[in-house]
Amino acid sequence: MVAAAAVFLRWLPHHGWFVGTLVGGAIVTALAINVTQKRRFHRAVRGINQESMPPNVGSTAAVAASVVILAALGIYTVLFLPLQP
Amino acid sequence: MPEDSNTGGPDARGRFTSRILRGGTEPDPRFTLANERTFLAWIRTSLALLAGGVAVEAFMADLLGPGLRKTIAVLLLVLALVIGGGSFFRWLNVERAMRSKTPLPLPLIAPVLAIGGALVAAIMVVFVIARPA
Repeated sequence: MVAAAAVFLRWLPHHGWFVGTLVGGAIVTALAINVTQKRRFHRAVRGINQESMPPNVGSTAAVAASVVILAALGIYTVLFLPLQP
Repeated sequence: MPEDSNTGGPDARGRFTSRILRGGTEPDPRFTLANERTFLAWIRTSLALLAGGVAVEAFMADLLGPGLRKTIAVLLLVLALVIGGGSFFRWLNVERAMRSKTPLPLPLIAPVLAIGGALVAAIMVVFVIARPA
């Protein structure tokens, strides 16, 4: 996610402030994943220990949604945002 | 409160998860974690395509014309979008199949990725061959 945000930065001089939302979105998602890492790890460990673990639908849907939104905004940037001199 | 399908006790899965994944029994946690790892692998592929699409548009201005550059970038970004969204539904379908102990569904995003990747590669091959020396 941070690598994707870094690549998005290359668009900043050409497409203006809108790309900042892409960079911000990717970094916020990466931070959210990083912050919740420990909690998810302990949940998995507890699940293996108790031999039963409910699947994490919310996190999975959130990660997929963030990638879909970033890709959609990328398509919008390529197709509809004019290049700035 | 919904009942846990394994124990008959209170459901520890939460309301959202219970609504999305109804019925069946909780599979072995190792299978659930393996399914999650596969989902993350698809997401990595999607992110690589996303970065590739942006990189084509941002770094290949000297090599490719604006039309071709835009076409390849959009193709890669659409592929990233489809793979990213499809990976969640693949994960969900596999999770449902494991809960109900039915055969695992075929991943439909695999042929999509293969065809999309081949299409982009074919466009680049034609470009390299047709480009004046």
